[in-house]
Amino acid sequence: MSMTGASIRQIATSLSGLVAVFIAAAIFTPGFYAEANLVLVAQQIGFIGVAALGQTFCLLVTGIDLSVGAVSGMTMVVLAVVSGGSNSRLWLAILLAIGLGIGVGIVNAVLVTWRKAPPFVATFATFTLVEGALLAWTSGAPSGSIPTDLAPLGAGNLWGVPAPLLVFLGLLIVSGFVLTRTTYGRRLYATGSNLTTARMSGIPTRTLMFSAYVICAICAVLVGLLMSGYIGFVDYQLINTINLNCIAAAVIGGTTFAGGEGGVFRTTIGVVVLACLLSFMLLLNTGNAGQLILEGAVILGAVWLQTGTRSIRYRRRIAVAGIGEASIDNEVNVAPSHAVGVGIDKPTDNRGI
Amino acid sequence: MLKLAHKRVAVAILLGAVLVCTSGGFAAATPSVKASPRLAPASAPCTNAAAAEAQVAKQWRASEAALGVPYLTPPKEVVCYVTTTKYKKKGLLTIGFASQGPTNSWAASSDAYVRYVLAQNHVSLDYASANGSGATQVSNVEDLVSEKPDLLIVQPLSSAVEAGIHRAAQEGIPVVVCTGELSDTNDITATVNHDYALQGTLFAQWIVKELHGQGEIAMISGIAGAPTAEVPYQAALAFFKHYPGIKIMTHQYDNWSETQAKTVAASMLVQYPGIKAVWSDSSFTDVGVAQAYTAAHKAIPIVTGDSSNAFLRVAKQYHMTFALSSYPPEQCGMAVSVAIQILEGKTVLNQVQVPNAVYTQTQLGKYYRANCSDNLWVPSLLPEPILKQLDLC
Repeated sequence: MSMTGASIRQIATSLSGLVAVFIAAAIFTPGFYAEANLVLVAQQIGFIGVAALGQTFCLLVTGIDLSVGAVSGMTMVVLAVVSGGSNSRLWLAILLAIGLGIGVGIVNAVLVTWRKAPPFVATFATFTLVEGALLAWTSGAPSGSIPTDLAPLGAGNLWGVPAPLLVFLGLLIVSGFVLTRTTYGRRLYATGSNLTTARMSGIPTRTLMFSAYVICAICAVLVGLLMSGYIGFVDYQLINTINLNCIAAAVIGGTTFAGGEGGVFRTTIGVVVLACLLSFMLLLNTGNAGQLILEGAVILGAVWLQTGTRSIRYRRRIAVAGIGEASIDNEVNVAPSHAVGVGIDKPTDNRGI
Repeated sequence: MLKLAHKRVAVAILLGAVLVCTSGGFAAATPSVKASPRLAPASAPCTNAAAAEAQVAKQWRASEAALGVPYLTPPKEVVCYVTTTKYKKKGLLTIGFASQGPTNSWAASSDAYVRYVLAQNHVSLDYASANGSGATQVSNVEDLVSEKPDLLIVQPLSSAVEAGIHRAAQEGIPVVVCTGELSDTNDITATVNHDYALQGTLFAQWIVKELHGQGEIAMISGIAGAPTAEVPYQAALAFFKHYPGIKIMTHQYDNWSETQAKTVAASMLVQYPGIKAVWSDSSFTDVGVAQAYTAAHKAIPIVTGDSSNAFLRVAKQYHMTFALSSYPPEQCGMAVSVAIQILEGKTVLNQVQVPNAVYTQTQLGKYYRANCSDNLWVPSLLPEPILKQLDLC
């Protein structure tokens, strides 16, 4: 994917946000730079990052997955109940959790791609369904505990680097390669950029969108595994925070809700910004309210900048094309074969599709 | 431009919804209702306030004695005995129960104990689960009132149920509230509850005693704004003000999540390495604190919280020093006993403070149940077969 001026501006905006957090932390909370705190930040990057990578795949195809938290919660419950805290049954529990997670991903994918359900509604319904199923299964009290063999995955480290961060970096390299260097990745961008055009170009758009939801669900399972290893208990409360954090990270990084724009490297910037911001807020002692307000403000700011940039580019394209807005809209909607070329805010580079 | 505008609106709605979901919209751990000065019930005459207040004072003294801390005067509240002869019923009784729903192990145990007490007393149950949703509970209460039970027990998730409770009172149905307080109504015959102010003060007293009035401490509460978190916090804060040697370095919230508690404690450890005690209202917090300090190879500070088997397991493993005050899931079951007394026309207290276990690490062996699940809230009044049925033991 070639990088446009707007993309560079977006990345610069995200990076400037990160620098702002670093400067503010240096002034107000010097403890931020203590080794122990940086390790904590690295752990948070790992947890949020894995979920955000999966979410990025969905966002790239104009989707969203609100069931990430539920799938992570389900993973914790499956681990505790199936293993009963026994290390000998850990692998069975992990395999079952992955299977169930993929199942949820498939349900999301079928609803969105085949039944044309809006992703927000479909995945929110799945969230509720999974949460209800867990309650029915466990009566709110999952028996068993998390096997101790899982602890190194969530709480361990390798040469001082927290294991969750290493897992995230491994996934980042793989997903980055897949998205930028393979036909699959280019087709995924094309699908998100303009679904109709992509379909008319012979791209199996349904299959691609399907895969995005399944990948996201697998990442959610992985987050559940990491979190289980980190704390060693089933923590239902996390279900509610994972969704916001992974979407926020992707959006702050510049992966847009409109699809076809952004990517895992930009999401990574968002993840680092968010993890640093959360740690900074914690050290600043702002409490939950302050944390939510600032987090919300940062997301809104990111969306504002994104839509602002898109609007400017839209007007510029109109000026260059020398035609009215209505014509442009019609061009995109009615004559999709031109849309990639004329596309208001879509990548103009569709080589290799 | 119209398309872009639509997208912006959609994004705004989406973010709003996500924020609602993630800021506790689906969380249902503990009832969250207002806790302010309560009114005497209008439904029945209020008598013998002095004796009623003495009951409350007695519980404060018993708790203070358990932790070996000095006696304090309980806060002034409207507590009295109410006569309930007008509610006297004969024959098969039906009690409506608007439950918060079995959304976690505490709530599942709560429901199970209600059913157990009702079965023991041959009273039939009209049950409605809110599944942790305050909105669902509002309609549940309305539905239950329409079915005209002999008495209604409400485990409130929000003050929005007050309209339904008012309707019940108008229709002559006595109402008992459990594990929560509703202040804006005088339609409630009795409230069966945990004394949150006592809990907060007691923990503060114990910390002052253990630190000999000197030292840095941290305070960690559950959900910001939830009275079950705020009332004990404010009570503790008021107590700590009398001890300038106790330095409160930070106050954080962890949403009653072990994971968040661990993150908060790990961060706290970096910024305030000299913390000697963590005042907390929950054992979820204590588990996170223990793990964070252990991971950093630091001595775990003394902690306070409620009484879960999970924490006792961790406390035993790390030889922790603690003071706990249980938050019994049997409160609504105890409300059933009060309800039956009301339907027998007996005199009852309008504010029933449930007895609970208050103890320190010296009694860990008495309360820890190694053969039971981490999800068990100890001590439990549930009989063994029910504990097995709930997979708790």
